[in-house]
Amino acid sequence: MRISTNTIYHNGISKINTLQAEQSKLQQQISTGKRISVPSDDPIAAAHALEISHAQEANASFANTRQTAQLKLNTLESSLGSITELLVSAQSTLVGAGNGVLTNLERGFIATELSGSLEQLIGLANTKDASGDFVYAGFKTDTKPFVASATGANYAGDSNQQLLQVDSQRLMAVNAAGDSVFQASGNDVFTTLSNLVTLLNTPITNATEQAAFSAGIAMAISNLNGSVDNVLNVRAAVGSKLNELDSLNSAGSDRDLQYSKSLSDLQDLDYASALSDLAKQQTIMQAAQKSFVETTRLSLFQFI
Amino acid sequence: MASNILSIGSSALNAAQVGLSTTGHNIANASTPGYSRQVVVQSAAQAQNFGYGYIGQGTEIAAVTRVYSEILAKQAVNSQSVSAGINIYSANLSNIENMLSDASAGLNPALNNFFTSVQSLAANPNDTPTRQSMLSYTQSLVNRFNSTSNRLNEIRDNVNTQLTSAVNSVNSYAKQIARLNDVIEKAINAAGNPPNDLMDQRDQLVMELSKQIKTTVVQQNQGSYNIFIGNGLPLVVGTVTNSLIATSSPSDAGRLEVAYQSKTKTTVLGSDSLPGGAIGGLLQFRSESLDAIQNQLGQIAVTLAGTFNTQHAQGLDKNGNPGGALFSIPDPAVSFNSNNTGTAVIDSKIVDARAITSSDYRLQYDGTNYKITRLSDKTVQSFTSLPQTLDGLSFSQTSGTVLAGDDFVIRPTQNAATNFSLVFSDTSKLAVGAPALSSLNSMGNTGSGIISAPSAGSTYAASPLVSALGLTYTSGIPGTLSLAPSTQPVTVTSGGVTTTFPAGTPITYTSGATITVGGLSFAITGAPANGDQFTITPNTSNGPGDNRNGLLLAALQSQGTLNNSKTTYSGAFSEMVNTVGNKARELKVIGETEAKVLEQATAAIQSESGVNLDEEATNLLRYQQAYQAAGKMMQIASQLFDVLLQLGN
Repeated sequence: MRISTNTIYHNGISKINTLQAEQSKLQQQISTGKRISVPSDDPIAAAHALEISHAQEANASFANTRQTAQLKLNTLESSLGSITELLVSAQSTLVGAGNGVLTNLERGFIATELSGSLEQLIGLANTKDASGDFVYAGFKTDTKPFVASATGANYAGDSNQQLLQVDSQRLMAVNAAGDSVFQASGNDVFTTLSNLVTLLNTPITNATEQAAFSAGIAMAISNLNGSVDNVLNVRAAVGSKLNELDSLNSAGSDRDLQYSKSLSDLQDLDYASALSDLAKQQTIMQAAQKSFVETTRLSLFQFI
Repeated sequence: MASNILSIGSSALNAAQVGLSTTGHNIANASTPGYSRQVVVQSAAQAQNFGYGYIGQGTEIAAVTRVYSEILAKQAVNSQSVSAGINIYSANLSNIENMLSDASAGLNPALNNFFTSVQSLAANPNDTPTRQSMLSYTQSLVNRFNSTSNRLNEIRDNVNTQLTSAVNSVNSYAKQIARLNDVIEKAINAAGNPPNDLMDQRDQLVMELSKQIKTTVVQQNQGSYNIFIGNGLPLVVGTVTNSLIATSSPSDAGRLEVAYQSKTKTTVLGSDSLPGGAIGGLLQFRSESLDAIQNQLGQIAVTLAGTFNTQHAQGLDKNGNPGGALFSIPDPAVSFNSNNTGTAVIDSKIVDARAITSSDYRLQYDGTNYKITRLSDKTVQSFTSLPQTLDGLSFSQTSGTVLAGDDFVIRPTQNAATNFSLVFSDTSKLAVGAPALSSLNSMGNTGSGIISAPSAGSTYAASPLVSALGLTYTSGIPGTLSLAPSTQPVTVTSGGVTTTFPAGTPITYTSGATITVGGLSFAITGAPANGDQFTITPNTSNGPGDNRNGLLLAALQSQGTLNNSKTTYSGAFSEMVNTVGNKARELKVIGETEAKVLEQATAAIQSESGVNLDEEATNLLRYQQAYQAAGKMMQIASQLFDVLLQLGN
């Protein structure tokens, strides 16, 4: 085949151009560590990587929500712990109060103690969390949920539970409405304590009063037991949610790891093969340059 | 005799000189683009009969011709226009591709940040910094949509500029070719010999022309070229030229189309009749990729705005007011065809953001029927009157009269992402709470049944709750709930099965089932006792801890919303990136193949017509020796003549 001088130059240059473009691509891949720099490098992997990165971001935002949930539930848990202690100590005080040998004066002391417990309990029922929100107020987190009254305390919150999206398919309640903790099923712990204080302050002068007193104490013990059980139930539910959050957290980080691995498989460069390709390209480039110079150096004009 | 020898020598000397000049011309033009090497066509001169035989009379030059193959040139011209079309398409598309794939400036990170901020708003409904950051991320998402779409508009403007310059080139090449046609024809008629260099110039112009548009050459007998472009439109006929003009589209003033201008009229050409070359590539890029991508981007914006606005409107803001629109999205752009004879003004609105497609629509009136064509798949629907609703769009006539043949183009999504905006910046207006509350009769209920807080679905705001709804439990097997007032049907969803109870009928109780009434959903769990009461009331003062609407807003991220609730926002975006990536890859592969074909065609031409300097060096030597030999011959003739002269001495 007849080769024109133009073709000789053109072929030499175009081969070198192609090699340079390939080298620059490899170099870009090596410097970024990514196999894909634009979607057309691998359209399917690029779209898939986008989907995975969305899933990973969503997973990370659930993890953030879980942190919020954990903080709220921990506050609730520790406050419920104090409430349990307080109520248990009131229970034991009450057992002593039922003792028939106590004088009116001594019952008065117990009444004072229980009245202190009532105030403390109202204080605990008005616990705020780290962000200054009332824990037992339902949605009305800016309203003091329990206000002391002559017969105990009035509830000013609502009975709503705040749910948080702690995982893609899991909404978790992270508060406990005050009415369901302290006033469940018509058994109001504030009324119980307030009635007790009144009862203990009422002097006993005859057997009828003694009998009414004993019946009152028995009723109070039963009511208080019910309230303690209810608080313990709420607390157990909170504890199990905290456990669930732990396991969701560990599942979440497993998923995160899995997503990262998939992203890496899709996008990341195989350095070993890229570097070996680069070395190969360099060899070819050197050969191409040398052969180009050698070929073009030959000319008949040198001999005439 | 001797004079004969001298004249033979002279003809040889002359031929060698022509050979040397031609070789020199070849060497001089070795690197001239489009140059075909020239060769001397030499033949023996007519011999003379002397009775005893023919005596040769030397040599003569028949012609100096160029080595040129019409077939090879045709192949190269075809391949050139295909290749140029793909290259320009690919170059324009890669701008879009780079923009979409940018890891930090692309749309993807803005979408991710936005969704994350909505999630954290749902988790911290009362936290002002969280509300602020949600609005900031929303603003930056909006900005990203705007800037992406603006960049696409710049690319669109750039297509207009490139089209104008390609059209100008075509017209200029046409004039030059026509002029050369004239000169070449005259030269051939006058001297009978082809003007090689002018013909090379003309072929080179054809080659350049084919970079702009698909070009077909038909050679005429007198040596002139007739040039046809695209699918056979005559551009140059002998010395007459027609021209192309870049003109505004009748249905969209900002869009340049290519029109063909013959003596009598101007016709706007579609991309179908102008394949190949820069013009074909640009038109194809615009209709196949740019329009589609900008519409898809707009579709995501429209659906995102519509679905968020609808859900936001179900909620209650910090001041206890129903949520307002969060995003503003422009109405579909309706363009009036400049050739319309009627005065009708057509209006289109988005009525269902989930049903919006990425297509444009054409509305035509034929005198009796309104025909609405979805341009993406050419589906036609015919109506006898307006207004009508199609694909989530309303079409209506607001004023004027419509006449047969009137034509409107409706673009619901093209500018949606450009004019997409955030409506408010006041954090207290974020409607994170829900407009209804639930309660149970805590003093009277004796069972353990509890009711969850109701959430408002997307249909609640249309007919909100005006007074309390009561639910009373009646024990039995199974236990039932009765609703008061019992004017609405109730649906109960449990384990994926939905049962509808008509208004007034007892509702079978299932613990934990989702009960929906009047757009509100809630659940009752546990074991209620006979006569236990639950109440749903309208909510007008927002509880700061209320995050119910926030949860529903956040849930939109993972739901199918686009294309009739089939595709998620991020899914639609990935699909768009995938489409661009696939097209870019396809062009890359075809482009490489076409470049190979072009290279081979060029190499074949070069092999035939290109100058090889070694060959010319050989020719130089050959003609030099021929010249020397001829000179020697003339010297001998002169010496022979001297012999005759000396005879008389």
